[in-house]
Amino acid sequence: MIEEPFRWLEAMENRREYVREQIKGGSPVFAASLPEGILLLGVGTGNSKVFELFDRHALAGLGHPADIEKIRQAAIDAAHLEAFTRAPEDVSLRRLVSYGLGPQLKTNFEQIFSAPFLVELLLAEVAAQPKQDLLFRLHFDGGFRSESKGVLVAVGLPDPENAAQTWLLQNASGRTDRREVVDLLLQAWWCLTENKSFTENAPSEEERRAGWRTAVKGKVVEMGWLARKTQRSARFEWLTLPGLGFELHDPAT
Amino acid sequence: MSETPPIAGDFLSLLAAHQVPPLRGDASSSAPVQTQATTVFAFHFTGGVLVAGDRRATAGNVIVTDRVDKVIEIDATSLLAIAGVPATAFEMARVLQTSFEYYRRSQLQPLSLPARVRALARLLRDNLPMTIQGVGVVMPLFAGLDTTITPSRAQIFFYDPLGAQFLAVGHAASGSGSATIRSILSFQEHHGQPKPSEMTLRPAVQFALRLLMVASEFDSATGGVHPESRSFATIKVLQSDGVRTVDADQQAEYLAP
Repeated sequence: MIEEPFRWLEAMENRREYVREQIKGGSPVFAASLPEGILLLGVGTGNSKVFELFDRHALAGLGHPADIEKIRQAAIDAAHLEAFTRAPEDVSLRRLVSYGLGPQLKTNFEQIFSAPFLVELLLAEVAAQPKQDLLFRLHFDGGFRSESKGVLVAVGLPDPENAAQTWLLQNASGRTDRREVVDLLLQAWWCLTENKSFTENAPSEEERRAGWRTAVKGKVVEMGWLARKTQRSARFEWLTLPGLGFELHDPAT
Repeated sequence: MSETPPIAGDFLSLLAAHQVPPLRGDASSSAPVQTQATTVFAFHFTGGVLVAGDRRATAGNVIVTDRVDKVIEIDATSLLAIAGVPATAFEMARVLQTSFEYYRRSQLQPLSLPARVRALARLLRDNLPMTIQGVGVVMPLFAGLDTTITPSRAQIFFYDPLGAQFLAVGHAASGSGSATIRSILSFQEHHGQPKPSEMTLRPAVQFALRLLMVASEFDSATGGVHPESRSFATIKVLQSDGVRTVDADQQAEYLAP
């Protein structure tokens, strides 16, 4: 097949379509860099969307749980080996993604006789200053890009992701309050999961707020926080909606 | 992505798979005089467990430094106090720090206290060739939170060089100054007033600092405490909500008349 370029290209395209078809219904995940740390958010079942990787690093993903788990484990293995053989300060997201996860995902995607990874991922590294924070968008085919504008979203399909990313960049700009940003990300999550437009005939803010509050009932809003300044080397901590002052009157959320 | 380690969540298995041995066991008996670290101890007080150590490291009759931290925070619920050869002990601390966090992150749950206690025993056993040669002997103390009971309770463990672990009921001490400290702790627990286990934080810290002062009078390898030169101890407390460090400023304040 390698000797026949058109069959190769067709196989790649089929594979891409297959992955997108499989994960298009996945629940989107978000990351936002704020003055006091980085927020990662997803709506799932608990321990299913947002994960701590290392002292200053975390991951959020959508897709097949087993595939997210494999990549999460590979990232944790690589980070801890690096920290042990060198130092925790040497664990860098840029190296982890560029030289580790990205190439491994690409290799897997191009091995057309093995199953591709059904994942879309966000990775974050908190730094001493917000402008030094790193947010990476990593795709199932190994493609990746870093985002320097402070907010990032991962969706199963490119078009809704681009629309949500544009909307979030416009609306999250200048917001520094963690609770406000959580509210905004959940509004975007609701629009994405309900196929609402971000431009023409977009629902009002009140509709979006009421929408996400209803939609998260019976689900777990998973929120990880990478604190910029803390006494401990492990910066990751869990946040809850009640802990941030949201009253939903539902113990499941 | 990568091969599954032989034991899920076990960092030592991961190191073995990558051929990175944490401790090396091929020393010669003609090794040079080793740097040694003494003295450490731990006792229960009303707030949990206090773990303290002097800050001196020696090699024979040479004082190598008076600025060693022998009480090391392994994670949010574990403290390690080292006596013996720092080169080996610090490496053990590093292995434990990485192992416990690796397990917690990869398995999405913290390692239990018995497993944490045994992890240190395993490292001591792995260090047996060095111990038998008289090179790299480590006699640590370990304090960890037992979170299986409510409220969680801090416990103290001590070890022999072969890796046997023992639960200390009230207190434990290790290192060349430990005989003095054990005697005083035992006397205070049986006949003193207040008993160490009845002390609040401030008297417990004062007591710990005075223990080191007395130990340093009888053991030249114990650094002691010298407020006049702002030379204090390393003191950490393990409470039901985690680890807290009692820094030099607080120690000076507690010691002030």
